[in-house]
Amino acid sequence: MKRKGIAGLVLAGALALVSVASLGGCSSSKETLHIYSWADNFDEQVLKDFESKFNVKVTYDNYANNEDLLAKIKAGGGGYDLIQPSDYMVRTMIENNLLEPLDKNNIPNFENIQESLKNPDFDPGNKYSIVYTSGVTGIAYNKKYVKDTIDSWEDLWDPKYKGKVLLLDDNREVIGMALKKQGHSNSSQDEGEIKSAVDDLKKLLPSVLAFDTDTIKQKMIQEEGWIGTVWSGDAAFISKDNPDVEYVVPKEGGTIFSDNYAIPKGAEHKELAEKFINYMLDPQVSAKNYESIGYSDPNAKAMEFHSEEYRNNHMINLSEEELGRTEWLGDVKDTLQLYDRYWTELKSGR
Amino acid sequence: MKRKSHPLLGIHSVLMMIFIYVPILLIIIYSFNNTRLSGDWEGFTFDWYASLMTDDHVLEALMNSLTVGIVSTIVATLLGTVGALSLRGLGRRWKGSMNGLMYLPVIIPDIIMGLSLLVLFNQMHVPLGKATVIIAHITFSMSYVYVVVTARLAGMGKQLEEAAADLGATPWQTFRHVTWPQIFPGVISGALIAFTMSLDDFMVSFFVAGPSSTTLPIYIYGQVKRGISPEINALCTLLIVVSVVLILLAQFFLNRGKGQKKHKMLPI
Repeated sequence: MKRKGIAGLVLAGALALVSVASLGGCSSSKETLHIYSWADNFDEQVLKDFESKFNVKVTYDNYANNEDLLAKIKAGGGGYDLIQPSDYMVRTMIENNLLEPLDKNNIPNFENIQESLKNPDFDPGNKYSIVYTSGVTGIAYNKKYVKDTIDSWEDLWDPKYKGKVLLLDDNREVIGMALKKQGHSNSSQDEGEIKSAVDDLKKLLPSVLAFDTDTIKQKMIQEEGWIGTVWSGDAAFISKDNPDVEYVVPKEGGTIFSDNYAIPKGAEHKELAEKFINYMLDPQVSAKNYESIGYSDPNAKAMEFHSEEYRNNHMINLSEEELGRTEWLGDVKDTLQLYDRYWTELKSGR
Repeated sequence: MKRKSHPLLGIHSVLMMIFIYVPILLIIIYSFNNTRLSGDWEGFTFDWYASLMTDDHVLEALMNSLTVGIVSTIVATLLGTVGALSLRGLGRRWKGSMNGLMYLPVIIPDIIMGLSLLVLFNQMHVPLGKATVIIAHITFSMSYVYVVVTARLAGMGKQLEEAAADLGATPWQTFRHVTWPQIFPGVISGALIAFTMSLDDFMVSFFVAGPSSTTLPIYIYGQVKRGISPEINALCTLLIVVSVVLILLAQFFLNRGKGQKKHKMLPI
């Protein structure tokens, strides 16, 4: 009977399916912390130390932008215990009830965070998040081509740099910058202020080489661009490869941003995630971690353990005075549509 | 009867080839470039390939991709082949609609497939991880196997099997000694395509992946945000090479066997 052979095949298929299903369940008995974060966001050794110190396992998966993260968490969490959303995404996630409140009793090292990075606008009282690293959007420029003193956003409009200006490919960052230049909040909801900022940007358009976020570093290193809006952390990266590149927080101030620790709602290993945050905030661990990844360390007590080179890098360690001039991107509510419309106009060069 | 084509057509095809292959070629070239800042050519190197082989994350992603690829290919090949065999007996009318249904996952946008599977897994409270990625990959790979094997079955006709039955072979013997040898190249070809699809898939995997199920394409996507490093170019080059080899192999198996029309293209 022909059917017999087929029945055998079906059986084999079913068996294979069962073995597939069981594959998912056969992880080790150790408690496991599932981290979902940006690529290369931790020092490998620090993660391994955590594993052996607490006899646990750490898995580490990557996302490439906040929106991907949001989609995953919103769709049901994906089984992660610790995530690292940026500032505005923390706000969105809190609003959508996607985060667990942090139990500070498990994170005594929270005290080590420098005061200016505690209690941010997007999460008052650090109820749901703790800063992991932060930076400021300022001006990076190449001293070989830019001889004047750069200290104001106004300098981007200098006709000398025509065709050599780089801007971030980000709606709120760029319009926020122009708002700052005119002395307003980077999150203005005043239509007049926004319009005037956008008109100003339209005058800048002929000078713009590119709107670029992902490869702006390469463009500065290779000197395709001379001057532009660059994140402080990227500026530190650029200047390592091209020492001619300098960075400044303009006198009008700039936008501050951060990536943060947060725990998604319903995380299975919430306490372990808190243990991890606390461990990472230990001054010595912290120094080791940030030394390796090269981002700015929010840990005030860690400074003494950092290398001379790290401490002297003014792009990584912004001064209190510089930080004092910064502003978080706030929620602009319905005005966002206006921002979006103007942004489309700018990008299409109208 | 040689027809001379219009010279403009020649130019058109050259331009088309440039349009398709130059970006891929650039990635391959830069993967050998001896500088971290992928701008100018600064000499030939294998360094990036070497550093790939010592990167734990790359190796883990590779292992995940291989596990997912191999398991999903085996299951999808079994299910797809059995499906093709069992649906073969259907009448003309049913066959058309069944074929259409089986073909749908091939043409349905990946993003819809990924999203719908994600919703399904969440409704059923299945934790995301390697198992969900494998199940998702089986779902779309199965169709490729089905399509290839069905084409093979249609091409071979029923005469040989009927002759075997006439000569006293049992249905199992007929299948074992007549049908199976004929469709075998199709099955292998289908399996190779299934494996290639699994290896290359990003969108569906991205939606249904959970902790420690990062496949190579997902890993590459995450890395690009950090700036396109030469290692990533090297990794992409390897993926391209493996995919091309697998597809060529599949093509080879598909063309093998007597009486088959040559150069029958894959249904992808």
